[in-house]
Amino acid sequence: MADSKVDKIKYGILKVIDVSGFKVFDPPVRLLFGEEPQKQIKDIGRYMVLPILFVVGCIFLWTVIAPTHKTKSGEVPTPTKVWTAGQDSLRFHEKEDEKEKAFFLSGEDRLAEIKEVEALQAELQAEFEKLEAISKETSANAEAETAKKLAPLQKEYDELKAQYKEAQTARKAALTALSDKVAAKQAKSADLVAAIIDNDTKTDAEKGKLKDIKTAMDDIRSNPPKEVKEAQLAANKVADEIQHGKKRLSYLTTGNLSEKKASFVAKAEDAETALAASTTGKDALKQAKYVVSNTEKADKADEQKYPRAASIVWQTHRSLLTVIVGFIIGALIAIPLGIMCGLNKIVMACLTPLISIFRPVSPVVWLLIFQIVVGAFFPDPEKHPLFVFLNSSINPLSYFQTNPAMIFSACTVAMCALWPALVNTALGVSSIDPDHLNVAKVLRLGFWSRLFKIIIPSSLPLVFAGLRISLGVGWMVLIAAEALSSSDGLGKFVWDEYQNGSSQSFANIILACFVVGIIGFFLDRLMIILQRFVSFDESATL
Amino acid sequence: MSQRYVEISNLVKAYPNPFGDDFRVVEGLNLNMFQGEFVSLIGHSGCGKSTVLTMLAGLNEISEGGIIVDNKEIDGPGPDRAVVFQAPCLMPWMNAFDNVMLGVKNVYPHATPEERKQIVEYSLARVGLKDSMKKFPRELSGGMQQRVGIARAIALKPKVLLLDEPFGRLDSLTRMELQDVILDIVAQEKLTSMIVTHDVDEAVFMSDRVIMMTNGPLARIGEVMNIHWERPRDREEIFADPKFFEYREHLLSFLEQRAHLKSDFHDFEDNRQHGKDNLLSFVKNPMELYGAENSHKA
Repeated sequence: MADSKVDKIKYGILKVIDVSGFKVFDPPVRLLFGEEPQKQIKDIGRYMVLPILFVVGCIFLWTVIAPTHKTKSGEVPTPTKVWTAGQDSLRFHEKEDEKEKAFFLSGEDRLAEIKEVEALQAELQAEFEKLEAISKETSANAEAETAKKLAPLQKEYDELKAQYKEAQTARKAALTALSDKVAAKQAKSADLVAAIIDNDTKTDAEKGKLKDIKTAMDDIRSNPPKEVKEAQLAANKVADEIQHGKKRLSYLTTGNLSEKKASFVAKAEDAETALAASTTGKDALKQAKYVVSNTEKADKADEQKYPRAASIVWQTHRSLLTVIVGFIIGALIAIPLGIMCGLNKIVMACLTPLISIFRPVSPVVWLLIFQIVVGAFFPDPEKHPLFVFLNSSINPLSYFQTNPAMIFSACTVAMCALWPALVNTALGVSSIDPDHLNVAKVLRLGFWSRLFKIIIPSSLPLVFAGLRISLGVGWMVLIAAEALSSSDGLGKFVWDEYQNGSSQSFANIILACFVVGIIGFFLDRLMIILQRFVSFDESATL
Repeated sequence: MSQRYVEISNLVKAYPNPFGDDFRVVEGLNLNMFQGEFVSLIGHSGCGKSTVLTMLAGLNEISEGGIIVDNKEIDGPGPDRAVVFQAPCLMPWMNAFDNVMLGVKNVYPHATPEERKQIVEYSLARVGLKDSMKKFPRELSGGMQQRVGIARAIALKPKVLLLDEPFGRLDSLTRMELQDVILDIVAQEKLTSMIVTHDVDEAVFMSDRVIMMTNGPLARIGEVMNIHWERPRDREEIFADPKFFEYREHLLSFLEQRAHLKSDFHDFEDNRQHGKDNLLSFVKNPMELYGAENSHKA
């Protein structure tokens, strides 16, 4: 009995692996359950170890080659740099989370948080001082080292300079003497010309030598040892954290939502007492106005939002939302149209010219068209009811900060993702088994039950194959659309990094490249799984 | 019992032919069936026996002549004439129960869900699939799939059961089982049935009448053989009966005779050639002919 139970677990796992398409993990699972160990080890070697080694090799090549190529935005970042950039981006997102939390905290929690942050700040301050001291020491050491290295060079430079000056004055004197002689016809004029040329070459050579020494010295000065930079960076990092702690504290105290509200309420109360105590009509009016304005402010405080800065995590979420919205719009248009095309040759004939002409149009063109067309619907997006509704503080969707740019990016995605789904749906519907249609005829099924019970189920595998391509296309198009339309998302992240050109920009761009790729991979996997579920030929029952 | 429950009169199936005369597959077929009768159509491949059956089913358009079933001329397919196809033709995304339910909903629009469920369960139990109702086609063997096909047909409570080589793809053991299943149902429900088959034994064992068709095109009834055995029939008894071999021999000799007679086909070829010649005399540009011919093939 125990054996069969183990088998059940084993085949359960294997089925999940099979359905999700991660065939690679099949041999290790089998090995774990002790099935034909030799064969499994061989398979693991072939299909897991070798690919991993290959990827590691590629990363090694990247590490070696990247620093050799100098660009305007610095060296091509190595994997380590990209990794650091990734960590920094995540930390940035965390910081935003912490600040947002601080902004909304109230009551006991707020006080507890203040204490916590203050303790943390003290710790950080201590660490910073330590690091700063180390940094100073290293830089002092390095400076001493540099000075030591520079001293002989400087000495050589000074000596040579003095020497050359002397030589130059001597040569000048000799030239003057020679020219006098030439004027007195005691020497040949050709000699004078030769002497001038000789003087010039010598002077040039001397200048060159001096310049070389100078460059060597500059090199030493501008390239302090690595440790200095690292120590400085470490100290800066902690300093950043301290800065962040200060910001957090300010959001916990003066910038805090509940505090702000309380202060308005307190002001209103003060004004009320003043109003009660007022003696003149003018004063009473003034105080009453205060009461009204402060009460209003206190009421409105609830609608305030934390002004979040865009982190890569948030940009990724926004890109995902945009692509899903666009993809759903595209699918909702493509599938019914595709079914109509597949069912009716006339509809197909009518749509074929449109499909053939619009399918090859570049996403960039669509983006511009939608930007104009969709933009016209929202002349004043800030006040448009749709965006007011979506971005109001009560709406959970306000996290995404919807704006017209997002809408026309989604439209562009829909427009480009439409075609594969449409064509595949039409193919799926038109290639339905005629035997099934005969059955439908004999059973006298009506149009709708024929459509929903026979035509759509039988075309689903092809429809999903089309949707899978659509989602892939949509994701690719979206990144370009975001970069061009500056709709927040991964595309804009890349574009912003390209534009601002900080030391970490290049690394961030490559980081975004990986994020886009990995998300695209998982979206594709998701579609494969869905496709497997709807395809009836495979035994995909979990 | 009506002597003319199914009445096929002067039935013609003709496909249009670009070279003049139509390609007439079936030519002037007349056949009457009384209620509860079991008729086999037998003949060589391509003789048009399936065409006759599909026309009766309403899946194939009738070119000339007409078919009356229970005093009504047929027009298109209908649930009064259920068909069991050669391939089981089950919807792979539905289990056996749902496959049978597919037609039941339409045929019994006023039945309650519970009644419909009973009908489906009864039909599946009739074909011996009581325990496999929730299984999907891919989990069923070929024979079991065909049983679902039969259940789907009888769940419609048809007047006429049409069997288009229903056992063609099954092994002989399964075939015999299913023959018994069908004979059983037909006897109980008093179904008028027509089977198209290549199997001489099957035709003799199952039918009251065997219709032997001439070779197509221009197929018509060559000979009719009545089989006088009481029902229900016992397979072993019948196979031991010397008459069985007489019937069998008779059928086989008819088929063998027909196998040598290809004259009908030559007639058609001559027609075709003739049409082409006629056409050629009118066509100035030979490429036009090519175009016409290609479009015909396509």
